[in-house]
Amino acid sequence: MSTDTFGGASQRSVDNLASRLRRRQVVGSRATALETLLVLRQVVSKARFSNMEQLVEIIRSVGRRLVDAQPKEHSVGNTVRKVLHHIREEYHTASGTNAATMPQTFSIAKFVLLGQPRQHTVAPKAGGAKGTLKENDPDDPDSFARGLKPVLMEAIQDVLDELETVYDNVSKNAKDHIHSDEIILTLGMSKTVEAFLKSAAHHRKYTVIVAETAPSYGGREMAQSLSSAGISTFLVPDSSMFAIMSRVNKVILGAHAIFANGGMFATSGSLIAATAAQAHRTPVVVCAGQFKLTPLWNLYHEYGALDFGDPNSVLGFEEGDLVDKVEVVNPYYDYIGPELIDGFITNDGDHPPSSIYRLLKETYDDEDNEL
Amino acid sequence: MPVPTKIEAPSGAPPASQPSQKSMTKAERRELQERQRAAKLAQKSVAASSNAGKEAAPSKPKAASAPSQKKSGDASGSGAAKSSLAKDASNNASAAVDDGAAKSVSRGLRIFSHFGLPKPVGHSIKGDIHPAIIRLGLLFSEFRICGANARCIATLTAFKTACPPSIFHSFDYATPSHNTLSRHLMTHLSPQITHLVAARPMSVTMGNAIRQLKLEISGSDIDMIEQDAKDALCHKIDNYIRDRIIIADEVIQELAGKKINEGDVILTYARSSVVEKILLNAHEEGKRFSVIVVDSRPLLEGKALLKTLTNTDPPIPCTYALLPALPSLMTEVTTVLLGAHSLSANGSVYSRAGTALVAMIAKGHSVPVMVCCETYKFSEGVMLDGFGKNELAPPRFSNPIKHSQPLAPTPNLEILNPLYDLTPPSCITAVVTEVGLIPPSSISSIPLALGRTNL
Repeated sequence: MSTDTFGGASQRSVDNLASRLRRRQVVGSRATALETLLVLRQVVSKARFSNMEQLVEIIRSVGRRLVDAQPKEHSVGNTVRKVLHHIREEYHTASGTNAATMPQTFSIAKFVLLGQPRQHTVAPKAGGAKGTLKENDPDDPDSFARGLKPVLMEAIQDVLDELETVYDNVSKNAKDHIHSDEIILTLGMSKTVEAFLKSAAHHRKYTVIVAETAPSYGGREMAQSLSSAGISTFLVPDSSMFAIMSRVNKVILGAHAIFANGGMFATSGSLIAATAAQAHRTPVVVCAGQFKLTPLWNLYHEYGALDFGDPNSVLGFEEGDLVDKVEVVNPYYDYIGPELIDGFITNDGDHPPSSIYRLLKETYDDEDNEL
Repeated sequence: MPVPTKIEAPSGAPPASQPSQKSMTKAERRELQERQRAAKLAQKSVAASSNAGKEAAPSKPKAASAPSQKKSGDASGSGAAKSSLAKDASNNASAAVDDGAAKSVSRGLRIFSHFGLPKPVGHSIKGDIHPAIIRLGLLFSEFRICGANARCIATLTAFKTACPPSIFHSFDYATPSHNTLSRHLMTHLSPQITHLVAARPMSVTMGNAIRQLKLEISGSDIDMIEQDAKDALCHKIDNYIRDRIIIADEVIQELAGKKINEGDVILTYARSSVVEKILLNAHEEGKRFSVIVVDSRPLLEGKALLKTLTNTDPPIPCTYALLPALPSLMTEVTTVLLGAHSLSANGSVYSRAGTALVAMIAKGHSVPVMVCCETYKFSEGVMLDGFGKNELAPPRFSNPIKHSQPLAPTPNLEILNPLYDLTPPSCITAVVTEVGLIPPSSISSIPLALGRTNL
């Protein structure tokens, strides 16, 4: 995309985020989603377009750049898709064509979608703009953009609001999931799980066992945070997860990205926890915001998709010449199949893994699956 | 007196507490309770580090209840102390209504109470302990000698050097007339064993060997000359070490070595002396294979294994990863070789914490899991759960070496480092013993395992 449609400042902010993603200066699915959204807002506010196709193409090209910069932060792509979805909806409301008259194909997915309209999706906001939009006006090419932009900003603001309230909404029903005197196992440092557990602690007295999750030792951070919130916390090494599982009532995990088949990527260590839980018939519950829903089918799982981290934290240089002779592996993520997960607690209700694909159909437009 | 306490007190307090409590008037009891509660609140507000807190917890209520002891004059000192503790516990339960934090702490302690706290050792030496045993106790408690085989051999060797000379020192005046070697040695041995157990809980292997040793001692001929009897005993100890451990290991090396093929990828967890020997032996035979060493805190023993494996010529190709990375590596593994601490009659393997996870993941990927275990590690009885019987690593293992932020336990945060877990037999393909490769369910049918043949 050339600079003139973007504006120089927007171009710079896109470049800036892309390089920060590439250098892993922005990590974590929510942080990347937020940053992406802010960049998109800037791009849309500065963009020059005279019809819908141009606008979609501008957003997509930004999305492509950011996704290419860090393909393993799936929430970047998800945010772009979500914004596109909202923008289309606003456009249809504003231009008077409503969703039912959209060019559509007959598919079960569409049937399901129309059968169960979701509350948060369309709220006709820009009634005043109706009918005034005129695409490809030869006299005033900017009139379309001028008319649509306020609505677009609102659409982006909606996504932003959802992102900002995601922890509150996920932990809204925490007390229905955690009961008094239960023993919960969790691992790693997930902000969502942290908020969820802390919210449950307002209503219930329960115990959390945190596996420390080497080599990042995020679990130690989590244990510290939970115990300072007054929750009775036990910190154990990853190795004792199996031994302790027989006393655990529930395993609560965070997610990095949730796939259409109901599986997910999560901090490495989650898979052994989930498998051990399955061996002990302990329920595994995942807390995640819906911005982690990713329209990908992880049917043929690849080793490389796990993303690898710094080997120094596993076997450091203080081990001397050992470092030269040994291959050291430090994957960031585990892929956890849908059969190991009992349920997802999201900011918009609880869902079994089998209905994730339906949520995806509702949240994103099919044509955006490839950005 | 508040109602909850009335309900709690009889059930929570042992019989010993009854007289002291009954001898108090209602007002006195209430006063005592108020004081205890105040002490507890003060202690909580201090929010000192947990160690200090734990020490303060029993002492403060005890001090508070001191006057009550004087009033109930007939109660013995220890009994009263016990009763005050018990009352404290029941108090705790009643106070939980208005103070939730106390309850959660006590609850946490209750779940893991059977683990016990690892205690500092080596400094309290009771009775006539031989220097070799004291040294061994220190080595055990410092984890300098670690691992079932190493600890068993070290114990037996220490007994061999320790027992006979110390009999000379302490008992030589009494031996000839009215005492026999067998009885002496038993009474002399028990404090030594107690000292070792105080240093670190006894391993199953040590238990088995000591049981066998005692059997031999009690079976030794009374009429034998003392020196001869001692020599015979030393000889039997040597034989035990040789037959049940060293030769057994060699047989296991050979049997397991046959299962390692050219181009295999062997995965092992932490460090087992037998597995290490198997791998080195197979490498010496010229087989080309690679090894994945999976490791985990608290002990990170795999690094030691890694050093030995890479010091061969040419070095064995090794991959090193921590336990969370295990599932991503399992796809390329052909065989999993594990060591064991002990093997129970139902075929479950009691081994270093994390072994069960490795076996479980391997089972999920249909990778054969071989557990290498000498028959002297068998223990009778059925184990169902790795949680019930376990051992905690000392607190100095609770922080990773490189981690910038060491965590200290607080009233709400406890750091536990269990050392063992139990692998269910369903996750194990075969157990490699010196009598052959057997399925874990057939452990109890091995005569060697049941009949302690000879030392």
